[in-house]
Parts: sequence; structure tokens; C-alpha cells
Amino acid sequence: MAIASTPQHSSFLHCGPIAEADSFAVLHLKRDLLIPTVLRAHDELDEGYSEGKVSNTRFGSFPHSTLIGVPWGSQVRASTVDTGSRGRKGWEGKGKKRKRNEESQGQGDTAGVEKKQNAEIENKTAIEATTGFVHLLPPTPEIWTASLPHRTQVVYTPDYSYILHRLRARPGTVLIEAGAGSGSFTHAAARAVYNGFPESGTEVSSTQEPAEKRRGKIWSFEFHEQRAQKLQQEIKEHGLDGVVKLTYRDVCQDGFTPDDTPTSEVKANAIFLDLPAPWLGLKHLNRTNPSSPLSPTTTIHLCTFSPCIEQVQRTINTLRSLGWTEIEMVEIASKRIEVRRERVGLAEEGLRGVNDSPASVDEAVGRLREVEGRSRLFHNEEEEPGGAQVSKQQRLENIRSALEGRKLYKEGRLIHKAEPELKTHTSYLVFAVLPREWSEEDEKLAQGKWPAKVEVKEEKDGPVSKRQRKKDAKAKAGGNKEFEVQESIVH
Amino acid sequence: MDPELVQPNAYIALRLPSDSTMIVQVLPNTTISIGKYGAFQANNVLGRPYHLTFEIRDTVTHDGKAQSGLRVVPAAELYADIKDETPETPPEVEGENSSASGDGVEYEVVGQNGEVVVRTNRQIIDDPNSQIMTMDEIEALKAQSTGSGKELIAKILESHSALDQKTAFALAKYTLRKTKKYLRRFTVLPLDVPTLARWILTDKEPMKIMELRGEILSLIGSWSNVHCTPSISTPSLDGDGMQMKGGRWLVIDETAGLLVAYMAEKMAILHPPGHDEQEAGSNIPSKQKADAVNGDNANGEPTTKDVIAPPLYHPRPRKTSGPATTNTITLIHANAQPNLSLLKYFHFDAFNPSTSHPLESHLKTLSWLQLLSPEDDIGYVEPATASEEVIQSWKSGKRSNHFRKRRRWERIKFIADETRAGKFDGLIVASIMSPVSILQHTVPLLRGAAQVVVYSPTIEPLVELSDCYSTARRTAFVTNPPDPDMMPTEDFPLNPTLLLAPTIQTARSRSWQVLPGRTHPLMTGRGGSEGYVFTATRVLPAKGKVEARGKFKRRKVDGVMTRVSSVQGTPASGDSGTVEMDAS
Repeated sequence: MAIASTPQHSSFLHCGPIAEADSFAVLHLKRDLLIPTVLRAHDELDEGYSEGKVSNTRFGSFPHSTLIGVPWGSQVRASTVDTGSRGRKGWEGKGKKRKRNEESQGQGDTAGVEKKQNAEIENKTAIEATTGFVHLLPPTPEIWTASLPHRTQVVYTPDYSYILHRLRARPGTVLIEAGAGSGSFTHAAARAVYNGFPESGTEVSSTQEPAEKRRGKIWSFEFHEQRAQKLQQEIKEHGLDGVVKLTYRDVCQDGFTPDDTPTSEVKANAIFLDLPAPWLGLKHLNRTNPSSPLSPTTTIHLCTFSPCIEQVQRTINTLRSLGWTEIEMVEIASKRIEVRRERVGLAEEGLRGVNDSPASVDEAVGRLREVEGRSRLFHNEEEEPGGAQVSKQQRLENIRSALEGRKLYKEGRLIHKAEPELKTHTSYLVFAVLPREWSEEDEKLAQGKWPAKVEVKEEKDGPVSKRQRKKDAKAKAGGNKEFEVQESIVH
Repeated sequence: MDPELVQPNAYIALRLPSDSTMIVQVLPNTTISIGKYGAFQANNVLGRPYHLTFEIRDTVTHDGKAQSGLRVVPAAELYADIKDETPETPPEVEGENSSASGDGVEYEVVGQNGEVVVRTNRQIIDDPNSQIMTMDEIEALKAQSTGSGKELIAKILESHSALDQKTAFALAKYTLRKTKKYLRRFTVLPLDVPTLARWILTDKEPMKIMELRGEILSLIGSWSNVHCTPSISTPSLDGDGMQMKGGRWLVIDETAGLLVAYMAEKMAILHPPGHDEQEAGSNIPSKQKADAVNGDNANGEPTTKDVIAPPLYHPRPRKTSGPATTNTITLIHANAQPNLSLLKYFHFDAFNPSTSHPLESHLKTLSWLQLLSPEDDIGYVEPATASEEVIQSWKSGKRSNHFRKRRRWERIKFIADETRAGKFDGLIVASIMSPVSILQHTVPLLRGAAQVVVYSPTIEPLVELSDCYSTARRTAFVTNPPDPDMMPTEDFPLNPTLLLAPTIQTARSRSWQVLPGRTHPLMTGRGGSEGYVFTATRVLPAKGKVEARGKFKRRKVDGVMTRVSSVQGTPASGDSGTVEMDAS
């Protein structure tokens, strides 16, 4: 794979001005309809399109030749792609169709591999379709979270944003993530801690690097083998394998140090546990343990993510017994808000997406009068003073024809409301902090370095401040007064 | 990253038993007072790790003088009150059993309170006199006590006449209340952006930061995609030696610099380099440090005077390295000078930046005038040049003045020109000005796919903004585009095709009390502004007319046909069922 040869590039972290071949991109169809894809000049799956690799969407087909080389964020028109008559490779069960293709094309599968490749290299130039478009976007963790293939419960943007905020995940942070799941948190965390790829290939060796330039890193764990494999593949495809080290492992049983890594290397200072039983994993996150993955010299920030309150209670009990401090539990409620214009009134009668009941009392009264007049006309056959009544059909016709000239986007009242589907509970977030170990010797050293002055509370012979002198003088004066009073009594 | 030990002259946050926070600067050899809880010496926390809890206690030295010292409170002691009631967690229980043992917890807690499993508050009569000790007595006791305040609290509890009637919950609550009032403890926290934001919001002036809550701040951070772009050149894919550009964010910040600080923290330019590993103390000229310490030892006089706020970074002759071009923040401000007062907590003075601070080269500020009409700004006008000989003939004062003016002009011109050239990777707005007027001038400066985030404490400005990008308006714009020279028009104050997927969202955290058997959300919280975030992506609309495809509400038959077409592959040009609708 081309991505593998350039591990030090990720369109998540740097995207150049234009979409280059082999970079990971997202086709934006609608806000919640995003199609992630790797841009390829040639079709790696060999699906048989004459334009090379093509992404087919609801809004048309997009040969990658029309996407590569355009600036990120561009609106790209769909192309006219012959999706039907291609001879798909490995298309089992459709033998009839394939045979027909072979016959019509005359060469088909009998042609040598080399020839096939040649044909691919000279991709047909895509022809623009008259309708349909997408926007070509570089990936961000937010876009990835919205588009990712669900494998487990996803940590959504409001949650992971707040978690990373509280974990103090910054460039240079080393973060342990257990229960990588679908990988949404993994991507967001990678962006937060990223401060450069390690210089030597994909393997980091923090012990050899200069101490002051600690690279941010995610030590990620997943105990479901299939999920771990899938995520590993995604991380590689996204060019994040220099930042994220994913291990297939059950951390509750085996701890937080990958087998191929010396224990001294992890040195994490932030931890995120999205596990069914986080309290079982906590025993490995202990400084007394010689194979501790925690950094010995920093504060450790921890967050656990559990949907049930019982999990939270047990986690917190365990945290307290293990000496974690500043334990706090919160939940995040988020909502998206919809803005629209609401049109109300009789003038909207018969139109779509409006409320055609009277907009005001005046309108209601007017309508009632009209109805009243009509019924009087009907019963008494009285002469209508106002002249010809407009039939309902005619009225609706008038409203519809007037619609042409109206600027509906400016009419009506601007309103906002929460979007129909609310996430009312995601999970409880437990935060805790483990301060650095502070021994008697450390304290002695610190005392030696910063000697606390012996504070003298009442000192007679030291230099006296101005304020003190004033105070003394006042006391003296007061004393004199008292003295005088006494004297006067004596007299 | 913050240094892990308290450094001299650093600002730190102190969490007090009352849950309020105090920000102090740790000047060596001074005394820090924390109000009613007492005072301690700065040297007692210097060089110590963060997140430790200290207890103030008055000790008596060998020569009979009273001295207040600090003791580190171990975590076990912090939880002493809680643990009394906590059943031991079975160390190894399978996750499946959690529900069963959850019941067990509740049962045991009640059971541990002895025979009175169902003690209720029905016997309790409200009586303000149940506390026998008077205020004066408590004050007297406080004055003579030397310890952490624990004995005092014990005494107060003892002298409560109706203590035995209290339910376990009420007793715990009462103890907690007294603890908050009298316990002489504090926790030392590093002053980072989240802590600073929290402090201003809850203890200081929330209006100063536009009531920006942590949850919203973190949303802004995520959606704006702000992240570190290291200066090391990353090899480009085509190997063409293309320079890695990018990492430039545009910000309009009227939160006194909180937003800038937050972004800087995410971009690794908030703290001076080497701040984390080597001591920050080495940044102070060592002579001064030595003086402070020696002077103190020599004559023992209060050295407060000597050490009052020694500027951590001394203004040095400005290097001519010039502003950075990647990993930068460009701030546009409405007044003649930007308000970045909160950056002082990170040792950055916008008026007199020290060259050792990364923000000096990575933060660029310009006014709206300099952006929109630079010719009208006096700083943008090139000062008169003089020949080398003329300059040499000047007095040194005039000469340096001349060069200072030139440097200032160079910087302003560079920043204004660079900003006007655009291609920013993102825009973050937190301003009380109308967002429509801001986006009108800033969205064109963004590159394609740049993220736009607008914060507002109230929703109305964002609703108005969102309406400018509504689907109906965009469709009208696309079908009948107005003359580009006439923009903005009354109907289209903003070009609605430039932003994709505009969304308004909000988030709020709810804190819970989690004590054994007493788990519930906190009873009170902060009101005020909710805080909303508008997010969108800058896009580059295709030239010419673009027709969308999809959504066939009116003619169902066509919808079916199109669906069939996309699966079975009739040529996608099939315009059957194409309605003038928008795909986003």
C-alpha cells in the first residue's frame, strides 16, 4: 500500500492545499451522510470501471480521477459513469453477465495482467454529469466519528471533547486508552497529543529521544481480536500509526504494557478506560507495581466511561482505596439545534410546510366574518354588498401563483428548537487524579532547596516596620490617655 | 505541558475546603494567605508536586516561637470519613455480578449504621439552638487551636445536642458542612487553561470570559480542529520538497485572551520551551535569585519588597527572526490594542512580549482597521527612510527610535499582508459583535475545508447567522446569483454557498455526588448563559451552475426509479427525478 511507504503523513493532522493521491478523504453528501475513502489514482480493488476507482453515492458517481488534485473543500460534480456494463473481478454468481462482457469486449480476463494494468493506467477521462455533487473534505476526528463503521458504542464528540479537556491531553501527553472500540476517541486523542511523528520509523523509543521533546502518543488496547484488527488497519490507512500504538490485549488480565515493549517505555500521564469493568483494570495502574505503565514523575489524570451507575460506584470505591484523589463524576448532555422559519397565517393556505391557521385575532375575525357572510348569503339569498366572492379554488390558485415572487427564506418567524433525536444519556464520566509520589526524602530535598523561614510572630529586637511603629505610637497615646483619666480620678 | 513541580514565580491555583479556588503567584520567601483558613509560607509548597493536599498546622520551634508549617495529607486520610461507611470492594469480582453486588452495597451501608436501619427524620424538630456552642466560643476555640481544625470540628459535632437524632445522611452532611468551614486544608493545582476558565467562571467574573464553560470550550477546540503543527518539515508525498504550510488559525477573541490561551495550549505554544523539563527558575537571572535567597539569609528582614513580582522574562533586544509562518494564531481585535490580560498567568505580556515566549512569534494581532483598510492605519504607513550616513549622524536615541519605528512597521505590514492573503486553516469567533458582520470579512480568508466555529453565550445571534446559511436561502442564491460586486445584499448578507453543514449545538455537564449509598446529581448548579456553538466548514463552490440530485418527496415514482438506477446502473446522467434540491 502506498500509505505504508509514507507512514509520516496523515491527512488528519496535515492536509496540503490539494487532495493528493493515496490520501484519506471524506465525501460529504449531507451533514450525517459522509463517505470515507482513500483516494486512488488506480483501482486497487479492480472493480472494472473504465475511469479507475469510483465512489458511488446517492448523489452520483465520483471517479477518483475527478477528486485527486482538486483543492480540499471543493464542490465536485458527479460524473457519468457506466456502472452497469463493467466486468467485475471476482463477481461470483453473475457469470452470465460476465460472459457477455467478455464477448463484447473481446479481451476481458484472457488478457495478461500486464495488459490489464496498462489499460488501467490510461483511465478514461470522466464525463461530467448534469446533476449531483459532493464536497471533498479532509478527515477530522469529528467527521470520522460521524461516519465511522459502528462496532461498539461510540464515544461522541461532546463526550470525547470534554474528556480530553479534563484529562489535560495536550501535545506531548502520553495517553493510555483501553477499550478502543470503534476508534472515535482514538482519533480525537491522537490529534490532541500529536506534536510530531517519531523520527525513526514507526517504532518509538522514548528512552532514546531527548528528554525535553517527548512525543505525544496513544497506547491503545482492544480485547476483541476482530475489532482490534479492523482498527489497526484503519489507523494505518489514516496515517496515524506513528502516534497510535494499538495492541490486542485484555488489559484487566494482562496489564497495560504491550508484550513487545519494555515496561519502562509507556510512562503514561493520562488514562481513558472504556471497559465493562474498569475497576478490574485499575489494579495495574498502580505505582507500587514494578511494571507500572505510569509515569513516575508526573500527575496522572484518569477518566472512566461507563453507562451504568453501578459500574461508577464500584469504580469509585476502588479508586479511593488505591489512593486516587479529586474523584468526580459528571455526565454530558448535548444537543443540536435546528433553525428554521415558521410561517403562519391564512395567506399560506394550501402551501407545504406551513401552518395555515389564522396568525392573529384580526385574521381570525376577518375569516369568521367572511364565513358568516357566506352563510347568510346561502340562507337569506341576500345581495352581497362586497361583490363577487372568490371561490376557494381560485383563492388557492392565487396563493400558489403568488409563491413565485415571494422570498420565502426571509418570511415568517425565525425559530429554533432541539433536533428531533436527542442523546439523553451516553455514559457517566468518572475523573480522578493520582499525584506524583512524594516521599520523605523528596520532601527533605525540597526543604533544603526552599528553606522555610522561621516565621517569628512577635519579635522585639528586629527592625520595626512603619506600620508597627504607628501602631505602637497609637497604643502609647492611648495608654497616656488612660493614665490621664486615672490621674483625674485620683485628683 | 506544565512543569510537574511548583516553580518559583509560577501562578498556582489553590482549592480550598469550601470548593472555591484561589489563584496566587508563588514568590519565594513570601507568605501566602488563604483567608479564614490561615496562611503558609510559599517556600513550603515550592518544589513540591501538584495535586497534593496540604494541611496548615502551627508548630512550635525549639526556641519557643510559633511557626506555621504544612503537612501533606495522604489520600487515605482524605477519604477517612467516607471509608468508615464504605464496604470493602471485593477485589476480584466478575463484571457480570456487578448488579447483584450493587444491591449488596446499599444493603451493607444501611446495615452498618447499626440497629437503626430505617432511621428517618420524622422525630426531628427544627431547632436553631441545637448547636450549644456560640459563635464566640467557636471563634475562641479557633484562635487557640493549632492543628488542622479537626479537633475543632469534632468539638462542634460533640456539642450538637441533637446529633444522635440525625440520620446517617444528615450527619454526614452536617459534618461535611463544618469541615468545609473549619478544616485548614488546601490542594495545590497547576494553573492551566481549564483551571483558569473554571476559576473565572465560578469565583471571579464570568462575564469577562463571556460565560464560556469548560464543556463549550472543549467543543470549540474539537470542532475548530485546532491542533499542533510541529515546525519540523514533514516530507510531502510527491517528494517535491513542498514546504509544510498550515496550522494557521484566525481568531476573534473577546474573552480577555482565554480563547487564545486555550488554542495556544492545544498548539503547544502556551508555555515557554523547556519549561517542563528544566526548572523555570533558570529563566530568572540567577543573580537576582541568589540575591533574594542570600539577602534573606543574611539579615532576616522580610524580603517581600525585594521579590515583588520580578518579571519572569526580561525584555531583551528583539531578535529579527520575525513572526512564524506555521502553527500560528492571528487575532483580530476591535480596539486599538488587543485585550489579552489573562495571558499574564502564562507569563506573556502582549505589550512587552519577551522573545523567549513562543507566543511572541506565534501570536499575531491586528485590528479590524488594519485588516480591512490598512492604508488608513498609521502603523501601516511606511516611516521615512534615511541613508546610512544620515542615520550614523543621529544621536543614539533618535537612531534607536528610527529602528524601533521601522521594526514596528515591518511587523504590522507583514501581519496585515499575510492575513489579507488568507488561507487560514480555521476560524474561531467569541465576540459580542454581530457574527454576521464578522463572518462577512473573515470567511473569504479561509482555505477550503477550514473549520468555522462561532461561540455565543446566547443563541439569538447564532440563529440569525444560521438563517443566512439556510438551505432555502442558498437555493435562492444558486438559482439567481446576485452580482458579486454588489455583495453583501439585503437578501444575502453572507454568501450562503461558502459554508457547508452549518450546525448549532450546545453541551452541558452535570455533576454528581458519588458517596457510598448517596449517589445523586448535585442539587445546585450554575445558571446564566447556556452557551452555544455554531460550526461549519468552508467550502469552495464549483464554478457555474450546480444542480443537486436526490430527495424526491413529491414524485415518489421518480425516487424509486433513481434508487433503481444507482443500484443497477443505468447511466447516472439519468435526469429522471432530478429536482432542484440541495444535497446538503
